[in-house]
Amino acid sequence: MSDETAVSVRNVSKQFRIYHERNQSIKQMVLRRRRGVYEEFWALKNVSLNIPQASTYGLIGENGSGKSTLLKCMAKILVPDEGTVTTTGSISALLELGAGFHPELSGRENVFLNGAILGISSKELNRKFDEIVAFSGIERFIDTPVKNYSSGMYVRLGFSIAINVSPDVLLVDEVMAVGDAEFQMRSSQKFQELKESGCTIVVVSHSMEMIRDLCDSAAWLEHGTLKADGPAKQVIGAYMRHVAEATGSEYIEPDQVAPTG
Amino acid sequence: MNKIKSNNLVAARSLLINLTLRENRSKYKRSTLGWAWSMINPLATMLIFTFVFRIVFRIPPPEGHPSGLTNFGFFLICGLLPWNFLAAGLSGATGSVVGNAGLIKKVYFTRAVLPAASVLSWNTNLLIELGVLSLALIFVGQYVFLYLPAALVVIVLQMFFVLGIGLALSALNVYFRDIEHFLTILLLLWFYATPIIYPIDLVLDNDQITGVMRNVYLMNPMVHFADAYRAIFYHVRVPGVSTYLYMLISAAAAMAFGLWLFKKLEAKFAEEL
Repeated sequence: MSDETAVSVRNVSKQFRIYHERNQSIKQMVLRRRRGVYEEFWALKNVSLNIPQASTYGLIGENGSGKSTLLKCMAKILVPDEGTVTTTGSISALLELGAGFHPELSGRENVFLNGAILGISSKELNRKFDEIVAFSGIERFIDTPVKNYSSGMYVRLGFSIAINVSPDVLLVDEVMAVGDAEFQMRSSQKFQELKESGCTIVVVSHSMEMIRDLCDSAAWLEHGTLKADGPAKQVIGAYMRHVAEATGSEYIEPDQVAPTG
Repeated sequence: MNKIKSNNLVAARSLLINLTLRENRSKYKRSTLGWAWSMINPLATMLIFTFVFRIVFRIPPPEGHPSGLTNFGFFLICGLLPWNFLAAGLSGATGSVVGNAGLIKKVYFTRAVLPAASVLSWNTNLLIELGVLSLALIFVGQYVFLYLPAALVVIVLQMFFVLGIGLALSALNVYFRDIEHFLTILLLLWFYATPIIYPIDLVLDNDQITGVMRNVYLMNPMVHFADAYRAIFYHVRVPGVSTYLYMLISAAAAMAFGLWLFKKLEAKFAEEL
């Protein structure tokens, strides 16, 4: 592992507005002189962390803790209100598979369209096309409009495109559980391959087993603030202890959690 | 602030081409006549308008100079085609960002390609339609292809003009969905404020339209675009320098404003949608 930083998050804060009443028309805005009644809510508050190059990094925390918001800031989908996120190299985000598929177009056309959205040149796509289709396992249906795909085929093709773009940084949000057992097995092999080839992977997941198996380091977020970061096992341990205390159940050491999936 | 690379439309051209192809391919998918609709629509409009304005209202077609054409159909269609491009391009662009909310919330890419692809796709339609019009003109003995370079400049300038306004409207529509409805009224007003169904001389030679009113009328950039298209495809001559100058200024101003507004508003798209 090198000392270079792949993703550097510095003092990042992100505020959302929770609208109680939303004015999406000019009339309402003029009448009330504002765009709605809202509460301000900090989804992220002063979060700083460094993700080293070629490492695999897990983001954990309860629902609404800001993990996905942080991931979206890394993916540049959201712009932080304060602080900076700097990333080195190309980024690919697996937030929703097959986002941007056009239902009327064939799988083949959608591979090229989706690839272009993810920022892959058409030359590279031509080179990788067979690999992408083979990985998704839907060769027979590649010239069928994707609206006729089953939901499994849909996400498999989306996953296959996103993972075959060989990004420098791969951001993954709870999308590992797609496809059947065989596809999941091949996906985790692909993650290992990417890891070995020096790709930095950032994973958001509620599956502690997966984070423990896959990640070198992790960060635990709670209500938008960073509770702990460091080696994955320690962070998971701290988080699990917290969950155990909160629910009044017995704390289980990470090593004793039976591997599943 | 997050450092967003100065991603512009030129850098994202591969995506822009792909999205334009997506729009082009899906536009007439599942319709039996397919791209023939691109011809049928303007022809049907032309026939209806010719009946109403030539036969009922008796608006005379001016004589083409130097072409010598006196045909209301030809006169109408060379104003109608660029108008249809403006109307369809603006409507398409306005809905493009809101219509791709799923994509914007899940993937990072140069957002401006969405309205741009919509405008480019309708521009493809315009090119095909003008191509067919040119063939028809050649058929009646007008050597319009000699003026192809002059026409291309007009088409490119109008494309930038439409794109500039489209960028602004698409970004505003994220914050105020009224824009879509407002656009319908704007286009109706704009259509009659542009010499499409009537010759511009009916306004310029009109005693009741003088002074300020006349100047306001001439401030409409589409007056000059329509004038340029009509010069090439009806009169069969090169438009005047002042017309080109006016179109250039309109296109540049629209693009400057559109890009500025889009850049200003795009950072919050993902959370506003």
